[in-house]
Amino acid sequence: MSKPIFEAVDNLATGGITVMALNSLDFVIPGQWQNIVGFENTITAVTGTDDAEYIQAIGERAVALYNDKSQGYQTAMWLYDTVDAGSSALGAAAMASKVGSSIPLLGFLNNITPKAETAQTIDLGVKLVAEIVAYCQINGLPGDSVGDFLSALMDQYSGPSLMRMSALICFDGLVPLGPDFIIKAIDGLSGMSPDQLEGNKTFQGIKDVIPGGDSGGQLGFINQSMDSVRGWMSSFVEDRGLSPEAVVGNLRGFVEVADDKLDYLGAFIDMSTNYYSHTGTQTLARSLIERAAAEM
Amino acid sequence: MISFNWRVDWRKVLIPIALSLVLFIPGCFQKEPSKFAQVQKDTTAKGAEKAVAKDATQGSEFNKFFPADADGYDRVFSQEKKGFAEAKLNKGGKNVAVLSISDTTSLPAAANKYQKSTEKLGGFPLLVETPLKSTGVLVKKFQVKVASRDASFTADNRMTWLKKFNLDGLSKLK
Repeated sequence: MSKPIFEAVDNLATGGITVMALNSLDFVIPGQWQNIVGFENTITAVTGTDDAEYIQAIGERAVALYNDKSQGYQTAMWLYDTVDAGSSALGAAAMASKVGSSIPLLGFLNNITPKAETAQTIDLGVKLVAEIVAYCQINGLPGDSVGDFLSALMDQYSGPSLMRMSALICFDGLVPLGPDFIIKAIDGLSGMSPDQLEGNKTFQGIKDVIPGGDSGGQLGFINQSMDSVRGWMSSFVEDRGLSPEAVVGNLRGFVEVADDKLDYLGAFIDMSTNYYSHTGTQTLARSLIERAAAEM
Repeated sequence: MISFNWRVDWRKVLIPIALSLVLFIPGCFQKEPSKFAQVQKDTTAKGAEKAVAKDATQGSEFNKFFPADADGYDRVFSQEKKGFAEAKLNKGGKNVAVLSISDTTSLPAAANKYQKSTEKLGGFPLLVETPLKSTGVLVKKFQVKVASRDASFTADNRMTWLKKFNLDGLSKLK
């Protein structure tokens, strides 16, 4: 049985590497994400009510909806949790090594292995597909509604959802793959064999819920998904003038790293944060609470 | 000769002490149970009633009764689940209100609260819930709601948008 939703929201981190990494992206979407933590706080943030009876009633309905497995919320939570490779042990060790307000990455180089470009490309594609499937589960659309997802991405993504996409672009795109990460990912994925996909750990974690049937069909779905968001992603990067240097510059607010070890920085963020699960829990809680408040 | 055996079998002493500590310490540090622990228990018990009634109307059936974009507001559908459909009302890219239709079959208390309604809209009972900044109307078994999500969207705005729903059409839905 999965963890109760109120516990998941209550236990969200208020600090640590994940929150610091996400805060470093404030320059991408200024003021649009606040790290709202706690189930009751989230109810107040979404509905504007601080009336204890209403909070209790909304919370109870939200818990019931979450526990009704047919509603898809638990699948979405599982997806957000599963695509995160983050190891809390590495994160905690890094936090413990802080000198002043900075983590010296040098001490961790032995524990970090930068990913090969192919693996990173698959990770980006698989995380994007996880987002699409989770979006459809939360909002009640068929799992392969890439078109609906795309229009939501353009019109509705805000708060934790927009922060998650910003982090995907910056931490899984720009930093590890460079400024032309979109082209690299599309070229890389279209030239890939189903066997290569099968060998990827992130894909293995969630392949049961990726549309497409077998790994060949699933690769097709990943390709189609990347292709449909490429326009949105390019504009997102261009409109904000995003570059690997800008992202790294902001990360340097709390991680000390030499210029020739930047590939380690990407791997470090990947291994020590759980930004998908963190912001995914926030996204899911918001939708659930909106629905509970509307239904009661 | 009388001899005293002063040797103490420490195992006999320590084990009860250790056991009582094991039982006692977590009790001291145990957090107060969550206010939602009971509903968690009730809704995960074997054979627990589902949150959404089996015969609830599909959310997709509700979409056509929602108002369209108007007065500079964009209506964007955001959730479509069994027994529930929701759209956001945005102005200048900012979410200012939430529109929804839900089937109260899943949650009879939602329909029952309209018994205290003293006003009507189009012949249907109307209810303003100030702490929720929402205004709702009960159309047969369906609840239609408009909730403010920004201070600029007032109770009057909610009424205006509630009137834009096709309530008569919805009342004919089985």
